Amino acid sequence: MSSERELQISPIVQEAVMNNSKTLYNLQSLTASLFGVGAGILGLESYSGFLFYVVCSLLTTMLFYVLRVAPTSLPSGKAAFDASRYFRSQFEFWTGGLMNGLAGFILTWTLFYGLVRA
Amino acid sequence: MTSPPVQLQAITPSLPTRRDKAVAPFRIMTWISKTITLLGAVLLGHACYSAQEHSALQSFKAATTTLTSTSAVASLPIDIAIETVVATLVILLGLVLGTRPLRPIQWNVWAGKIEREGEEGFLDSEGEMNRDFVGNPFSFLETRPGFVDIRKQRKEFAGWIKNSGPQ
Repeated sequence: MSSERELQISPIVQEAVMNNSKTLYNLQSLTASLFGVGAGILGLESYSGFLFYVVCSLLTTMLFYVLRVAPTSLPSGKAAFDASRYFRSQFEFWTGGLMNGLAGFILTWTLFYGLVRA
Repeated sequence: MTSPPVQLQAITPSLPTRRDKAVAPFRIMTWISKTITLLGAVLLGHACYSAQEHSALQSFKAATTTLTSTSAVASLPIDIAIETVVATLVILLGLVLGTRPLRPIQWNVWAGKIEREGEEGFLDSEGEMNRDFVGNPFSFLETRPGFVDIRKQRKEFAGWIKNSGPQ
């Protein structure tokens, strides 16, 4: 792979990568629980609940991109929706939230569904 | 050879003053994000309580009047649904605003940011210095000793030997 050579030419700061991915991971875990509360109150069931989660999770990443990544990424010459200034893997940035928070979402979803509809 | 400790003493006291200047905008950002999150949490709590009350009322109605169908239990009033969605979005906005600032991952961009902004670019949302902040990667270039003129030193040494050496 030529990525080894590219890494030699333009090195990556590991601690910055750690800091950014931890920030995103914390946000996604927290918001996934929040979406679970919302889905439980709305009384969503089966597929509509998971659809709600997918939409909200993508919305979270979108909002994070608009508020945190875009203000400094766009002036530095990156294309729109390109988070490579802060994240190594674009695919992971956009879809990582779907897997990160799923467990927390289901937990609070079932909990609040049971609480509201007791 | 005594110059490095002197420079260190000159650098160290300047750090707290820089940090104090940078604290204010981060405090304001944190305050805004916490207020928004709290507002959303109040809305969400209200929506949750409303939904619970509605559900209890529906089941009570269903128990007292056997004529009505039980399908009404599942449907939530539209205002509670709207309140839930709005509250979720408000909390989401507050949480996103409260995230720590990101750092560039490419070494040249990262080092250039430190060079331009100093420590202020690397404070977290509480205005505190991050523990893993390593400082300016170019500082060793700025604090290293200058070049040594070895020929001049040899000449001086030779002169010193000539004057005071053979006795």
